[in-house]
Amino acid sequence: MISFILIILTSLFFSGIIIRTKSRTSGRKGPGLFQPVKDIIRLFKKGAVYSKTTSFIFQAAPSIYYASILMAIMVIPLGEYRGIISFEGDFVFFAYLLGVGKFFMILAALDTGSSFEGMGASREALFSMFAEPAFFILMGSFALLTGHTSFQEIFASLHFGSYISYILGVLATLVLAMIAMVENSRMPFDDPKTHLELTMVHEVMILDNSGFDLGLILHATNLKFGMYGALIANLFMGSFPLYLTIPIFLGIQLLFAVSIGLLESFTARFRMNHNAQYILALSSVSLLIFLGVLLMLGQFS
Amino acid sequence: MTGIYLAGAFGISGFLFFNRSRVINYLLVSAFLVLQLGFTIYEYLHINKPELTYFTPDALGILLLVTLTIISIPAMYHSYMYLGSKQDNPGHTAIYFAAMVALLTSVSAAYLSNHIAVTWIFVELTTLSASALIYHRRNNRSLEGTWKYVFVCAISITLVFIGILFLSFSLSQAGADDLSFSNLLRKAPELNQFWLRLAFIFIFTGFTAKLGLVPMYTAGIDAKDKAPSPAGALMSSVLMNVGFVGIFRFYTVVSHTTVHSWANHIILIAALLSIFVATVYMTKVKNIKRMFAYSSIEHAGLVMLGLVAGGVGYFAAVLHIILHAFIKASLFFQQGQIYRVYQSKSMYDVGNYFKYNLTGSMVMLLGFFFATAMPPSGLFITEFMMFRSLFEAGYLWVLVVVMLLLTVIIWAFGKNIFKLLFSAPVAFKEEGVEKIKPVESLSQFILLGLVVYLGLNPPQEFLHLIREAIKNLPQ
Amino acid sequence: MTNVLLIIFTISLLYLGIAHRLLTYIKILTIQGVLLFGIAFIELIEINAVNLTFVLLETIVIKAIAIPLFLNYVMKRNRITRDAEPFLPNFVSLILITLIVITTFILSNAINDARISKIYFVVAISTLFTGLYIIVTRHKLITHVMGYLVIENGVFILSLAVGNEMPVLVNLGILLDIFASVFLLGIFVNRIGDVLKDADVDQLKSLKD
Repeated sequence: MISFILIILTSLFFSGIIIRTKSRTSGRKGPGLFQPVKDIIRLFKKGAVYSKTTSFIFQAAPSIYYASILMAIMVIPLGEYRGIISFEGDFVFFAYLLGVGKFFMILAALDTGSSFEGMGASREALFSMFAEPAFFILMGSFALLTGHTSFQEIFASLHFGSYISYILGVLATLVLAMIAMVENSRMPFDDPKTHLELTMVHEVMILDNSGFDLGLILHATNLKFGMYGALIANLFMGSFPLYLTIPIFLGIQLLFAVSIGLLESFTARFRMNHNAQYILALSSVSLLIFLGVLLMLGQFS
Repeated sequence: MTGIYLAGAFGISGFLFFNRSRVINYLLVSAFLVLQLGFTIYEYLHINKPELTYFTPDALGILLLVTLTIISIPAMYHSYMYLGSKQDNPGHTAIYFAAMVALLTSVSAAYLSNHIAVTWIFVELTTLSASALIYHRRNNRSLEGTWKYVFVCAISITLVFIGILFLSFSLSQAGADDLSFSNLLRKAPELNQFWLRLAFIFIFTGFTAKLGLVPMYTAGIDAKDKAPSPAGALMSSVLMNVGFVGIFRFYTVVSHTTVHSWANHIILIAALLSIFVATVYMTKVKNIKRMFAYSSIEHAGLVMLGLVAGGVGYFAAVLHIILHAFIKASLFFQQGQIYRVYQSKSMYDVGNYFKYNLTGSMVMLLGFFFATAMPPSGLFITEFMMFRSLFEAGYLWVLVVVMLLLTVIIWAFGKNIFKLLFSAPVAFKEEGVEKIKPVESLSQFILLGLVVYLGLNPPQEFLHLIREAIKNLPQ
Repeated sequence: MTNVLLIIFTISLLYLGIAHRLLTYIKILTIQGVLLFGIAFIELIEINAVNLTFVLLETIVIKAIAIPLFLNYVMKRNRITRDAEPFLPNFVSLILITLIVITTFILSNAINDARISKIYFVVAISTLFTGLYIIVTRHKLITHVMGYLVIENGVFILSLAVGNEMPVLVNLGILLDIFASVFLLGIFVNRIGDVLKDADVDQLKSLKD
């Protein structure tokens, strides 16, 4: 329960921090920390306009998407404290909840009949397809390492001791952060600020959404950031008491947001046709994590 | 004596490199030949006596060393013929002779070394010196040949090194740290199978670049084509034998382990593919030197088949590789004269060779008969023995395939040689054709004569040496 | 600790698969040289000092400094364009290199030898085959040389696995390394640049049947 509240809280200021960091690095003062949330609230107050060619799928999809992400957040634990939903093998449940949301967004994009949105949907599907094995190999390795298959038990019994575990921690953080970037269509893979439909991924999919629906989608992005940040934070929590885990959680979320801001200020996005290979590289790196886990377990020496 | 020889020969090579005077060049080369001859006789008289820890003149080493010495004398002679016919830069001549002396020396040392790592070092040196020979003409195409040769040999040498590492893995299991062949042979039954298999694959593949078998044969073809013909003769005979020595000695070790039959399969596949590749290219190749080079690949494949078949095949394999060296050397020497007549290596530009060089065309005709193993060639005897051993070992289908392929090779070889000898050349100007003195072909006749002599009526001592060389293989 | 370095080394192989520019290749070779330095230092600390110094100097001076500088010089001197020009898309390269790693990983299960560490075997063999792969699928001669250098790094790792028992083999490997790289690059810098205007494999394709 506590993690759910914390992630919702994080989602309120996460993109604010990113935008603030970006403004600071480019020498501007930038909008207030809660400006993105205020924008979303403004959108919530508006009604939505639906194209006549769309069906009920288009109207339902944003809500399903938002709901799926809320459900996924419920699975995430905080250190020793389990999430609202927790059972053996819940990381698979987690991954496919996200998949359901994404599936409906893709359907909705196709439903509009716009060629731009179809293109964006195809890219989104391709990139998530390549990111998925990375997530599963990573979580599978941790499951192998700890002998448990639920998020809470995996993270609670994860200990860093030997040299090799540190490199695994670093690599896992890297992979999770990169998966977060892919899932949220952020900088090295996609530029949220782009103005050309041909080079968009996520933005082009939601061109037709407006008002309340758009607000849901935008807030879902923030929630997703908070969710992946929470996963990364969990890597470092172990079984500390609550008064330590909450500061660690918030600190890591802050660090994550600032580093995304810095990354977006100082790097250029990959070329679209090179994206797939970089995303696939994540899977290869997670395979090496798997190898490292085997080494740690002594099944392979 | 080995120490004196190595120091002396590499010293001579160094002097040759810096010397620009023609007279001193003659003197140094003759000094090297005398040294080589003396060394060979000395080693022959002191057979099986280890020197400098890492060199043992065993029977196989002696046999190949004698072969090398016999070929090296005409090689030097034809080098002078080759260089004398061109207005060459003295610097290039100096490098040529220095590289040739270094090549012969490192090949001799590789024959005699009894330690796999030492063999490896000298094989590395042969690459270095051979590449200087290939690059002698200093044009675009010889650069290409050199680059390919050096690159492929560098990779294959690395593969051999990896094989040696795996071999040491398998050894340390058996508790000895010595990689000499005799020690390996002693420890053979205790070697770790898994590592030994890996070691065999890597070492075999690595040495195929020198011997000219399927995985790595390509570099050798281009190298023999672009090298001056005396250097090509050396590369197609004595340098090939280096690869044979490497594979043969290691194979002897492997044959005492449980990996033996598996290794036989690997060699059999490589050998069959080599003969097949040689056949395919022989039918379409239009360059005389490349044709000879492909013929060498065919013979290397046959030798490996002899090893696979076992029994009398071992004997045939060693005899075959020696006789083949003589034949191929004489063919390459003769090719130098053809080039001087026609100024071309292409099949399209040559013809009617009988008219321009009677003795030379006799060499070509005999060489063709000998290389395709027609009687009275010694190769006839060895191939006959090989086929018999293949039959006895139950490789009937292999035998059938090989005989079919050999028939095609004889046809392809003959078609080209008869075109060279009898058909009239197209658009060939007869004026100013260089007259080749018959005496220049003498060495080729001697080499071919040796093939007949050693094949049909081998002296007892020679047979004894061959039997000695294969005594460690399971009979 | 060596395991950590070896895993980073394997990641550098994956990076090699998706690198586009020759300068990136050179950087990767430098990184690999430094990693090898670390591995050799930890692994061979027990052998005698002279030998250790030799090995360490070779890795840091030759592999990590001299060869990258030399490659840079060759590229500038021969005006080689910056792109690696692979025959296959990098995406395929990445998949194949990953497959190579997985295959050697599976193959290593056949080893039942307590003396040889499997991770050395896996990393060395994957490096070896990645190097061969780079040679086969890249267009330029200079990338062939780089692929060869990658193979050499693999051989070095493999020789480290027996380094404590047979330092001679490590030294032999280094000898090979120096010999071959100096020789190959020497030909490259002195000859190919002079004879051929653009050091491209296409120019060396006249010899064939």
